[in-house]
Amino acid sequence: MAATLLLLSVPFFSLSAIAVALAFLVRPRPVRIPVKGRHVFITGGSSGIGLALARRAAAEGARVSILARSAARLNEAREAIRLATGVDVAVFSADVRDAEAVARAVEAAGPIDLLVCNHGVFTPQELEHQDLEDVRFMVDVNLMGTFHLIKAALPAMKQRARATKLPASISIMSSQAGQVGVYGYTAYSASKFALRGLGEALQHEVIGDNIHVSLIFPPDTETPGFAEEHKRRPELTNIIAGSSGGMKADDVAQKAMDGIKTGTFIVPCNFEGTMLSIATAGLSPQRSYRMAFVEVFGAGFMRFMGLCFQWNWFSTIENWHAKKKSM
Amino acid sequence: MASLFLLFLLVVPFAALLLLLLLAAVVRPRRVRIPIKGRHVLITGGSSGIGLALARRAATEGARVSILARNPARLEEARDTIRLATGVDAAVLAADVRDPTAVARALEEAGPVDVLVCNQGVFVPQELETQELEEVRFMVEVNLMGSFHLIKAALPAMKARARETGLPASIALVSSQAGQVGVYGYTAYSASKFGLRGLAEALQHEVIADNIHVSLIFPPDTETPGFAEEHKRRPELTHMIAGSSGGMKPDDVAEKALKGIKSGTFIIPCNFEGIMLSIATAGLSPQRSYLTAFVEVLGAGFMRLLGLCFQWNWFNTIEKWHAKKSNK
Repeated sequence: MAATLLLLSVPFFSLSAIAVALAFLVRPRPVRIPVKGRHVFITGGSSGIGLALARRAAAEGARVSILARSAARLNEAREAIRLATGVDVAVFSADVRDAEAVARAVEAAGPIDLLVCNHGVFTPQELEHQDLEDVRFMVDVNLMGTFHLIKAALPAMKQRARATKLPASISIMSSQAGQVGVYGYTAYSASKFALRGLGEALQHEVIGDNIHVSLIFPPDTETPGFAEEHKRRPELTNIIAGSSGGMKADDVAQKAMDGIKTGTFIVPCNFEGTMLSIATAGLSPQRSYRMAFVEVFGAGFMRFMGLCFQWNWFSTIENWHAKKKSM
Repeated sequence: MASLFLLFLLVVPFAALLLLLLLAAVVRPRRVRIPIKGRHVLITGGSSGIGLALARRAATEGARVSILARNPARLEEARDTIRLATGVDAAVLAADVRDPTAVARALEEAGPVDVLVCNQGVFVPQELETQELEEVRFMVEVNLMGSFHLIKAALPAMKARARETGLPASIALVSSQAGQVGVYGYTAYSASKFGLRGLAEALQHEVIADNIHVSLIFPPDTETPGFAEEHKRRPELTHMIAGSSGGMKPDDVAEKALKGIKSGTFIIPCNFEGIMLSIATAGLSPQRSYLTAFVEVLGAGFMRLLGLCFQWNWFNTIEKWHAKKSNK
């Protein structure tokens, strides 16, 4: 009896010791980023996740600016937000691929507290068949567009954070396709994986200015963009990517805002997303010692799960090709 | 008490064996051996550094080698170097990988490829705040778009060739440890190199049925002409942080790279730290070796802990550096 108790106490104390060690280890330190009364700038803000984010931020008392290409859709969005929250948002029309237009828009908007690089385009297709123009489109909008925005916003953000002494945020909308690449996603996954490389390095560079970087990883989300994408999906992409459930834009926006406000670096949006995030935690920074604990103890099992997923996917691909041949 | 201990002693190796057997059944894609001898190996960035070392090695192993780079003079020098070292005459192709038309022409001239090594890369470390957007674009265009151009151009003939010969082919991409973790000064470079992984994971799904096998190589700092240039430009903090990974000789990187390519290994580390990094960042990458998978599953937790320690160290370094600067 006493022996059993002694035996059980070993894992208990080791686990507690690890939790305590993690509490001291996790960097950067936890942070609370206020949204009320602050300037939130959202790109791709006239529809989908961006619009949902803008609505939420407005409802929480932020001063909201939305950027997108189409002036008409921007005005519709402004109306929608006014109807839903009573708040008037500022609208800016620019193509994120144009660095100068972005700089002008960011200048016109004024210093930003929370920059949300949410814009994104997505055409799934096998690289062999896809036009290089489509590939370039995704890389230019999703990746270079984000570089343009951060470059333009950073100087004023730093000054503002220094002046107000409040923590600021740069958040970037990635995707579960930015955590794992699957059939049909060469260009999209390339652009979204790249955002993580950007984010990890950027956090090192701006932590000294009290700016906190977040990456959001939604699954398939019911947006106008997704409806378009779905039409073009190769069959195999459907079979493989269909394994992750779809979400409503508003739910994604809620998870995103929660993550942004706590300066969380990797922000998953649903249960599968959390599993994926543990599996792909890699060398990402982690502010929460609880989450770090889950990551450390869940990592091995998640790698095993990941290998099972690949087993399933490669089997699916094999079966599909075999079926095609026998037709 | 003793019986409990004995039970424990029995259960652990049994569980390990069970895991090993499970993994042996699960790992995909299946193992492959990709022959080099007598096959057409095309290496971009092949006139210097890691590319030249790879070309020399491939030539020594009896491959028909083509090297692609921008500068015709350096290509000729490289051809001479390879001839002197191996007696083999490499074909040279001058093209800028940023230009898809030039790349397509070069690939057409070279003929069908068996092993495509996208090794070209440029690297200018600087804080994003002060870096010119032109330089950011340069790295993304060369490192990432350049690889898209190459694969797009080479793929049709590679598929046809693999079908004809019945032999497995390879598309290898040279990434970097900066493509496994982003650190101070590397926003653009890490972005371009992380991008290659997204490309590769998806690409492997798309080309496995054509018997084409994708590999990513992750070297640390390597003593090449490119590195000498880069080193001059490095911000101080990048030095303090990135200096923690040891440098390697291009020939040793080439050796590890070729070995990995020949076994169709998806994630190819080049040194001990690289192996640790690869376990930490294994994520959902495919794994053909059940032994490596075993190490990944059992080592993942500890590697995450180690990764957190690294970030603790790096953020402390950054904090102290800023504090010191503030005091001055």
